[in-house]
Amino acid sequence: MLNSSLHDPAHASRLAGLIATPLLLLAAMAYTGFNPLLLADGDTAGTLWRFVADFFPPSRDGAFLHDLLRETATTLAIASSGLALAVLLGLPLALLTSRALDRDHLCGDAPACPWQWLQRLLRAVLIVLRGVPDLVWALLLVRAAGLGSLPAVLALGLAYGGMLGKVYAEILESQPPQAAAALAASGASRLAVFGYTLLPQAASELISYSVYRWECAIRASAVMGFVGAGGLGLLLDTSMRMLNGGEVGSLLLLFAALVALTEGVSRVSRAAIHSRAGGAALAAGTLSLLALSLLWLWPQWRAAPFDIAGLWRFAQEFLRPTLRSDFLVQVGSSVLETLLVSALGSALAFIGGALLALPASNRGPRWLRAPVQLLLNFLRGTPDLLWGALAVLALGLGPAAGVLALAVHTSGVLGRLFAQTLENTPPDAEAALRHSGAGHLACLCYGLLPQALPQWLAYTLYRWENNIRIAAILGLVGAGGLGQQLYLALSLFQLSNAATLILAMLLLSWGVESFSRWLRQRLQ
Amino acid sequence: MKTKIALASLLLAVSAVASAEALLKVSAIPDEAPTELQRKFAPLGQYLEKELGMKVQFVPVSDYAAVVTALNADQIDMAWLGGFTFVQARARGKVVPLVQREEDSRFTSKYIVNADSGISKLQQLKGKSFAFGSASSTSGHLMPRYFLQKQHIKPETFFKSVGYSGAHDATVAWVASGKVDAGVLNASVWDKLVEAGKVDQSKVKLLGTTPPYFDYNWTVRGSLDKKLQQKIQQAFLKLNAANPEHKAILELQRASRFIPTKAANYKGIEAAAKEAGLLQ
Repeated sequence: MLNSSLHDPAHASRLAGLIATPLLLLAAMAYTGFNPLLLADGDTAGTLWRFVADFFPPSRDGAFLHDLLRETATTLAIASSGLALAVLLGLPLALLTSRALDRDHLCGDAPACPWQWLQRLLRAVLIVLRGVPDLVWALLLVRAAGLGSLPAVLALGLAYGGMLGKVYAEILESQPPQAAAALAASGASRLAVFGYTLLPQAASELISYSVYRWECAIRASAVMGFVGAGGLGLLLDTSMRMLNGGEVGSLLLLFAALVALTEGVSRVSRAAIHSRAGGAALAAGTLSLLALSLLWLWPQWRAAPFDIAGLWRFAQEFLRPTLRSDFLVQVGSSVLETLLVSALGSALAFIGGALLALPASNRGPRWLRAPVQLLLNFLRGTPDLLWGALAVLALGLGPAAGVLALAVHTSGVLGRLFAQTLENTPPDAEAALRHSGAGHLACLCYGLLPQALPQWLAYTLYRWENNIRIAAILGLVGAGGLGQQLYLALSLFQLSNAATLILAMLLLSWGVESFSRWLRQRLQ
Repeated sequence: MKTKIALASLLLAVSAVASAEALLKVSAIPDEAPTELQRKFAPLGQYLEKELGMKVQFVPVSDYAAVVTALNADQIDMAWLGGFTFVQARARGKVVPLVQREEDSRFTSKYIVNADSGISKLQQLKGKSFAFGSASSTSGHLMPRYFLQKQHIKPETFFKSVGYSGAHDATVAWVASGKVDAGVLNASVWDKLVEAGKVDQSKVKLLGTTPPYFDYNWTVRGSLDKKLQQKIQQAFLKLNAANPEHKAILELQRASRFIPTKAANYKGIEAAAKEAGLLQ
């Protein structure tokens, strides 16, 4: 019996979304030239298979393994000292910009005008710092001031500093404000309020987020060598370029081991925060890791000193972006390409992640769980640029390869998050359906998915914000978008063109962040 | 006692400066795989150590533009540059070209194509994928692009997609694997790979050769001691194929002999770079 008052009140917008999304995705497929059927094509599969078959046996050449060990140490050292720099930069910025420490917020004082402007300015600085991808920072610093691991450390420090500054501030804002308000009302300074109330409240969350970022920093510093900034990336770049499968095989094994190692360290240290002895051990471990890192990198930095004068000259040339209309048209089409690559890649990863999440969670057959989780780790742990290079082998140069690379890598990320969501979903609805005689599929579709879907969509949108930055650098390995143009401009010392391209990247990343935030609010 | 310590530390400092002076840091644009660059340089490095009476260290670098930056920033003393990277380095700082191979005064590039594509003429490459070497390469990018433009071929619209393999031997690997349909590379590297049997002739075919132009040279930073610059130049000019030890070095460098060079030799490259839109 149809009763119009029982109609879904949001059915118009739901229907529009249901029709518009596939249409947009189809348009994106046409524009980027991505066709899933291409993967089933004999030629494509053959080219890729020949290369992948070469992974085995992995290279055991003595000189190569020696380089591998040395560069692994450099990569770890870059990640650790880069993150230390990021904390040094991000924490003060977070303390200055966090609303959780503002007097007007805590005890209702009238806000001081110049202070608010300073905060706005610092927040803008944070946006720029994290809006430029770390690899682009590295590329800029290598061009400006020369080779080596120092540009990589600075690049990580800047990009991650911007990220930590924002997230630290948000963590402080999410704490219960009563204690801070009481202290502020008695006239305590900003720093005192932080030190005596918010720091003790938020310490474990701050530390555990920093440790997670260290994990990310290791993955990031593993590809810095693609732009001449030291570490494993140099080896990976060469092996990929020369299509040396055996060497790539060894590197892949090493990446898998590194990811497993860092995740282990991360888990142990997150557990250690909660006891006094554990906290002390964690502090001692962090300091000695940092000291070792600096000791390892110091001889390299001495051998190739940083060219401050070059940096200054570079900045001057750089601060005059090209605004010629023919160039802007070119940039515009690359921006569109980057946007579509990121959107399509994320959408496909939503499907891939959902398909992998079911067996990876406690819902699927038991025997399938471990292998699927291993697969997810592998998809996630292999650096995105390497997926880009492999996708170019399979699909040829161009944006289609970028879509494939993002879809594969992000499926690994989303699959794991989706599985966690499924495990945290209360089983009541499903149980009720089962008791009333519903089948497996019906339980899944009407009991489980409606509860998990909003969270899944939110994760996918978050990930899209991240993927827009990845899509912007995939061009470095020939997978379309802004990256290739930026690399060309910097290789040819056309710095004003490079400046325009980086501005475009910033606008794109800011635009996607805003759009995704708006969409997430609509979905809630 | 205090003066003794002061004296000792002064001596130490002096010797540190002296030993810093006695090291020549050399690099090269990575136009081939890094291992190949090291292999090519090893005997030349030993020869230079003997001739100059100082330590010579090879600094491997991952991309062309980074060598230019490092030379301009005095992070390295001498570099093997291509014609285009030399023009870039000269535009951005003070550098002095010392010598070039005799062959570099009439250098060429080779167009190659995947054998399965059935292509036999340059014009048939319309709508195919194409690989240059590094974007900063003279023989792998600038000059082929310049000559293609002379034939009214604009790579970005004429080809389906344009990629940059990064190095000459990588271009051959890309074409052989079918990653791209065709590509262009340094004639000297092509000949070397063919002689060494490293090109699978059933997969890669030669399509054509460009007109000749000036290419590679050995360049030092402008602030390097003038006497040392002359000593380096003399050491290169002395290399003689009649001497078996020298012959090995020259063969690895793929040179019959080295001749003096000057910046004016690269005016043509500079003009071509401007016309191709690669230099502003």
